[in-house]
Amino acid sequence: MEREVKLTRVLVVEDDVDIQKVIRMSLKLRGVSEVVLVESGTECIERLSGFTPDVILLDVMMPHVDGYETCWRLKQDPATRAIPVVFLTARVQKADRERGMKLGALGYLTKPFDPMTLHDQILELLTEHAGKKNENDGGADG
Amino acid sequence: MAERNILDSLGSGLLVLDARDRVSFVNRTLAEMLHITPEECVGRSAGEFAVVMARFALPAAMPRFDWPEASGSRDIEWRDGEALRFFREDSSPLGAGNESQGGGGKGRVFAYHDVSHEKAIDRMKSEFISVASHELRTPMTSIKGSVDLILSGFAGETSPEMQELLEIAQKSCDRLVRLVNDILDLSKIEAGQLKLNFERLDVTEIAVRAICAVKPLADKNEVRLRVDRPLPLPIVEADPDRIEQAITNLLSNAVKFSPPKSEVVVELSSDNLWVQCAVCDQGVGIADKDLHRIFGKFQQLSEGRRRGGTGLGLAITRGLIDEHRGSIWVESRVGHGSRFIFRLPIAAPPSPNAPALAGEAVNP
Repeated sequence: MEREVKLTRVLVVEDDVDIQKVIRMSLKLRGVSEVVLVESGTECIERLSGFTPDVILLDVMMPHVDGYETCWRLKQDPATRAIPVVFLTARVQKADRERGMKLGALGYLTKPFDPMTLHDQILELLTEHAGKKNENDGGADG
Repeated sequence: MAERNILDSLGSGLLVLDARDRVSFVNRTLAEMLHITPEECVGRSAGEFAVVMARFALPAAMPRFDWPEASGSRDIEWRDGEALRFFREDSSPLGAGNESQGGGGKGRVFAYHDVSHEKAIDRMKSEFISVASHELRTPMTSIKGSVDLILSGFAGETSPEMQELLEIAQKSCDRLVRLVNDILDLSKIEAGQLKLNFERLDVTEIAVRAICAVKPLADKNEVRLRVDRPLPLPIVEADPDRIEQAITNLLSNAVKFSPPKSEVVVELSSDNLWVQCAVCDQGVGIADKDLHRIFGKFQQLSEGRRRGGTGLGLAITRGLIDEHRGSIWVESRVGHGSRFIFRLPIAAPPSPNAPALAGEAVNP
């Protein structure tokens, strides 16, 4: 059975308040009803108790617990492992991207981003992910 | 003896191999690097000496005593206990004029210069640029995001004048992003830190990808793009992303300087040693007096700046091609257009044990 791809609840982990606002407006513009903003990896993990977003949009360079460490922790915890993580970062080098993807992220988007296409880019990653999951589940069933 | 003293007092290590590939001279500096005496080195075969050097030079940087006739230079890593140093190995043939020294004027001389300090500075420069790039991107994200959102109408209607001013800000911000990207790329190339993922590939596929990337700009400027490949090309070993970046840079330039209704052609060809790619336009051309500086940093002609270039595209392109052990040059005539040509060495045939690559057996 096809899984429905939703993009209505997004957790944004970003320490720059101005960029937080731009991300929120850009997602609201495209109909995302709930955009939750936090400023650090620690806050991200705390916020996830009792709240399951459709995707976590994760910055890398943040004080104390950076985005890589946050992603690693999320993927270690059975309660948060399945939540898709998409990096949105100014770390643009190939090695940074590879590191992020190895940690289990769904995608790696770089700054500056286009606020008019951010929603579509995330949705595309989620759709692709759901398609792969369907294929795997189908294979397991058959 | 006086010559020996002079050579021993040099800060750089020196090694001479004779015509029979035996060590005929090692100065004190190199001997000390190897923790042996010069006398223990002389008379050894190149192979034996390579084993001595391999205790220090990291495996990927083993001394190359089998270099061809031409002079060469490369950097090697040197580990001595806990200390890691970097040496530049310059190698050149012992040329004519040495016949009187015996050995028939053959043999090679190797010089090892300590470049650890330069490497450290390069690394610091590269780290600085990497951090600066990140720090610049953060405010650029806010500016670009805000301007894009206003232009989308999200925050209400804008007057035509406001629209025009915001479009200027948007265009300038996009240019700033390109500039930061280019500076980051160039700093990595210059610091020797560009990591290439080599694959066996057909340049035709890469050229087609580059054409697709540049097509929107070409359509906007009413310039036609075409690939001209008379025969299947031999395989090269290259990083597909970086070669695509090089061809894309050349194509974007060609399109920017082409008049409407003209054509930009990517001509692909090969000989026994090289695959050649020429990007040819029918644009304004480059004056002879400007040709020598065209691949320099920030050496764009005033027209280029007006057309939104960063002034680093050709310097990056040359750096990328150099990193592939290729060569690049330009031929141009004012009023008739330009041909930017690069060559990449043809790959050696795959070893019999290597798995076959998809698409490699393309030659009919």
